[in-house]
Amino acid sequence: MAIPVLMPKQGQSVETCIITKWFKKKGENVSVGDILFSYETDKAAFDLESPAEGILLETFFGDGAEVPVLVNVAVIGKSGEVFDSFNPSSSETKPSAVSDASKAAEVVEAKKASEAVSATKEPEGKIRISPRAKCMAEDKGVDYSSLQGSGPNGRIIVSDIEKIISGAAASARTETLINTKAEFSTTAKTVYHAGSDYTEQPLSNVRKLIAKAMQASLQNSAQLTHHMSADVRRLLEARQKIKKDIASGKNQQDITLNDMICWCVVRALEKFPEVNSHFMGDSVRTFNKVHLGIAVDTPRGLMVPSVKNADGFHLRQLSVELKSAADACRKGNINPELIQSTAATFTVSNLGNYGVEMFTPVINLPQTAILGVCTIINRPANLGNNTFAFVPYIGLSLTYDHRAVDGGPATMFLKEIRDQIEAFTY
Amino acid sequence: MPKSQNINPKVIRKPQFIEFGKIPVNQYNKTIEEEKKLFSKEDFIRIYHDMVVIREFETMINLIKTTNEYNGIHYNHPGPAHLSIGQEASAVGMAYTLDVDDFIFGSHRSHGEILAKGLSAIHHLDEGALYPIMKNHLGGSTLNVVEKGFKGNIKDLAIHFLLYGALAEIFARENGFNKGLGGSMHAFFTPFGIYPNNAIVGGSGDISVGAALYKKINRKSGIVVCNIGDASLGCGPVWEGICFATMDQYKTLWDGDYRGGLPLIFNFMNNSYGMGGQTMGETMGYNILARVGAGVNPESMYAERVDGYNPLAVIDAFKRKKKILKEKKGPVLLDTLTYRTSGHSPSDASSYRTKEEVEAWQKEDSIIVYGNSLVIAGIAKKDELDKIDSETKELLTQIMKLSIDEEISPRINMEKDPDCIGKMMFSNGSVDRMEEGKPEVLLSLEENPRVKSIKNKERFYLDKEGKPVSKAKVYQFRDGIFEAIIDRFYKDPTLAAWGEENRDWGGAFAVYRGLTEALPYHRLFNSPISEGAIVGTAIGYGMCGGRVIAEIMYCDFLGRSGDEVFNQLPKWQAMSGNVLKMPVVIRVSVGSKYGAQHSQDWSSLTAHIPGLKVVFPATPYDAKGLMNSALQGTDPVIFFESQRIYDIGEMFHTAGVPEGYYEIPLGEPDIKRSGDDITILSIGASLYQAIKAADILKEKYGMSAEVIDARTLVPFNYEQVIQSVKKTGRIILTSDASSRGSFLKEMAQTITELAFDYLDAPPVVVGSRNWIIPAHEIEKSFFPQPDWIIDAIHERIVPLKGHQSKIDFSVEKSIKLNKEGV
Repeated sequence: MAIPVLMPKQGQSVETCIITKWFKKKGENVSVGDILFSYETDKAAFDLESPAEGILLETFFGDGAEVPVLVNVAVIGKSGEVFDSFNPSSSETKPSAVSDASKAAEVVEAKKASEAVSATKEPEGKIRISPRAKCMAEDKGVDYSSLQGSGPNGRIIVSDIEKIISGAAASARTETLINTKAEFSTTAKTVYHAGSDYTEQPLSNVRKLIAKAMQASLQNSAQLTHHMSADVRRLLEARQKIKKDIASGKNQQDITLNDMICWCVVRALEKFPEVNSHFMGDSVRTFNKVHLGIAVDTPRGLMVPSVKNADGFHLRQLSVELKSAADACRKGNINPELIQSTAATFTVSNLGNYGVEMFTPVINLPQTAILGVCTIINRPANLGNNTFAFVPYIGLSLTYDHRAVDGGPATMFLKEIRDQIEAFTY
Repeated sequence: MPKSQNINPKVIRKPQFIEFGKIPVNQYNKTIEEEKKLFSKEDFIRIYHDMVVIREFETMINLIKTTNEYNGIHYNHPGPAHLSIGQEASAVGMAYTLDVDDFIFGSHRSHGEILAKGLSAIHHLDEGALYPIMKNHLGGSTLNVVEKGFKGNIKDLAIHFLLYGALAEIFARENGFNKGLGGSMHAFFTPFGIYPNNAIVGGSGDISVGAALYKKINRKSGIVVCNIGDASLGCGPVWEGICFATMDQYKTLWDGDYRGGLPLIFNFMNNSYGMGGQTMGETMGYNILARVGAGVNPESMYAERVDGYNPLAVIDAFKRKKKILKEKKGPVLLDTLTYRTSGHSPSDASSYRTKEEVEAWQKEDSIIVYGNSLVIAGIAKKDELDKIDSETKELLTQIMKLSIDEEISPRINMEKDPDCIGKMMFSNGSVDRMEEGKPEVLLSLEENPRVKSIKNKERFYLDKEGKPVSKAKVYQFRDGIFEAIIDRFYKDPTLAAWGEENRDWGGAFAVYRGLTEALPYHRLFNSPISEGAIVGTAIGYGMCGGRVIAEIMYCDFLGRSGDEVFNQLPKWQAMSGNVLKMPVVIRVSVGSKYGAQHSQDWSSLTAHIPGLKVVFPATPYDAKGLMNSALQGTDPVIFFESQRIYDIGEMFHTAGVPEGYYEIPLGEPDIKRSGDDITILSIGASLYQAIKAADILKEKYGMSAEVIDARTLVPFNYEQVIQSVKKTGRIILTSDASSRGSFLKEMAQTITELAFDYLDAPPVVVGSRNWIIPAHEIEKSFFPQPDWIIDAIHERIVPLKGHQSKIDFSVEKSIKLNKEGV
């Protein structure tokens, strides 16, 4: 009897997945464990192994299709077997989850997009990437499957991977060499318009999802941002000490400024549980534990993994957890549960490295607030006895959802973070 | 073009007739009674014996080839066997008078000549000399086989040694004279004066001239006999060899006791057929081969046809001809008439001749007729001769058993040492001089006008203030080559150089300016316009033990020396089982400006042939260091020089070109400019285009290019290039050779294999177009330009911001051009 292949459900809130690439064609023999196709949620990529042995009788969706979870993607069976009943487009098996017309439209769109881009991929869907770029990507854990190459004929070359690794701040040298192209386009070939001064690329699927979530956040909540700064001399002293300990071999683990700030944020959240919450529309869910989300730039786009139970960690433990969550995102093997916006109770986004002096981070709904960490600026300060000196201050930008939190407590919370930073001991 | 000889119109415009002297044909008419005065009974019988040995040897191989059996012993020999049954009298007659230090060269049909010369040498050598020769050959492994259980005298042992060494060689056994690497058509044994036979018809035609030059230039005793077939007279190398050997200058211009003709006999073993083509009556027009001598020089080369079916007639002729050579009136042409009753090879169905013709010659069989004449003259009894026949058969049966025994006579062990042939391709020697002695020169180095002028030159292209030095004052590329060569002329007494316009003119591109003043004629002389023989003679000179520099004026003329460069020069070291060395440097000048037949870079062709070292320097420093290495070595080196850069100064080695001696090892590329973003690997003069491209990359695109000069094509150490590619991830290769099938493609492919995981793009080749080379004014459309390199990088490797390509390097264009074959 024919066996249907279902689009798995990856994570509680995942409703649809996108087929990135088929590895088997209709009519091919498949064995248990063969990779049938790869697919991605909005935040992670997976391979689907064949659940059965037999002939791949039919595939109901092509590359690039967005498929609701638990819907039949294909059928495996013996030659000549009837499989019409497995076809998700036949009315009796149509899952209720995708009755929404807009979802159906998305599927079509995704399919179109993927057709439009097939030119840059080899006919069988192979990715055009130079051996060196491939080695580098694998070495650094960069997922290049949806990367648009800037080399000849759209080949992914080293500079593309370097750009991912170094994020937006790609080395200036490379910038001058390479035609810069918009990042994270799935597969689409850049269209050069003869005589015009712009290029146009269709959005990648991941980009579409990010766009949707961010727009929803700004449209559906009442966000505003407070800015404050904190004297970071103690943090910098601690940082010096850590570096010295590493250099002398006394200690091997690096603890970054961001780790320390996150630790201070957790301490502040313990004192202000109302910010450690989800706004549920007609209720507010306040958490006993701190699940700290951190914004991470990855080749696939922005990801916010959550470090569960962050309030239970020492500084050192927290540092390890933050690093491993970020690494997992970059490698693409993060547990999809952890990157749902519901997985975290509060989020920290750090743009200090890039010299940002203040910004208005966008809340990851249904969370009620997000802290933006900015760059350090030396400012004159009174050291006492009217002795003035330049003191390093770090910028803190707290965006909060006024539906859930009022200005007073928000300010008090921000001030608490500042105090924690200024009183930090290592 | 010596100024000492005046071409006087008053004289040469006078009317006159050329008179040809008589050329003797079969004029031998002595009776055996008369010959008794010259030969002892032993001599007469030895002649018979040697002929019988050859006959039986060839008969044995013929039976093995046609019936897989000899005397009841089964064996299959899949290799070649060009037999000379019927030609024994001419072989024995040729070898009879020769001394051990007389050299013979042969053809593909030379088993008989090897055995005849070997038997003659054994006769001439005393036992005390004979034994060490055998003992020392291949560490005694050939001798050990026949010596085991042998009872008898050393001379008999030597006959066993000779037959076994030759047969084992034919059967490709490691104990063969050349470790089985020469085989039937290339067997030889130099200690007996047997130099290489040659599977290429006429191949010995110019090589033997080089051997004669070696004897003459280095005052070695002995003569050289070039045994080649009648049909080879239709081959270019033979004609070129004859021209080279009969140049007037030996008799008119060479100094002192060097003056006089070459000690060389062109001995045409004339069996009337070139494979199946009948030379007399069908494929040639000379009617009688000896006639050709009349067209060569006033002496008609002392040409003569001799009856090669009578050993005594041949011996008589060789005695007389040797005397001519002794009087320095050589070379001599002999038309030794003979006939092979066996086929060209065992597969020969004799479709080109009648049974009656063969039978008529069999009736006159030299062995039977000669044997009968000995019996009739009372010199030998029939049963004495019969005993020789049966003993020879027995001996060869024994030799065959030894030769085919896999235990006693294994082949070289390719399993145990899979690279053993590879190890023999080059001798890789480092030898100051090929022989001790004082080099003959005409003046001291310090007195040399060129050396003096170079002393005043700037050895770096910039002066102390950093300003470019003028062409007249800068030490040039050609000076680098000159310094290396003149240094070696004062070190190695055997070194000689020849080619077109080498003397007086100083080479067409003034590399040799100053050498004429320094060297006597016999060390530097002009050759005829015979590129084949220029190289062929160098091969002969080198294999005999001399060091030589031959020059091909334009790379485009290399085709004229195709057989010499592709078949002879690269092969002899390995085919001899490393017995021979080949310290031969062929300078090849690569042209420009002169169009399609004077501007081609054919370095790839030579690099393709295993056994040649191929060098292509681009700077004066490299030219001198690499030439020093080439001349210090013992291997054949094709040394390419680009005419574009003969006048260029040293731009990379900031200390300038050292005045003293230094070597740059062959095979090591050189980083001429360091960089991080892309590697440019250049061959030859294209280095300068690569540097310009690197400048553009830096200035316009902020890209730093590493420029590597290959310097040598073979051997080539890829490590440095791979290191560079690991760093840059990108490589583009350029040279002036037409890109299709060029060595750049070989390098690109090898780099792809060796550094695949480090490559950010495929290695890209920017070679010349696959066209004829147009006139100088539009050459830029043919040879790679810096812009092409930039375009190729942009289109194939990494897009350059804002770059607009002029040359189409697209995939579509590449497919189109390949489809069109251009």
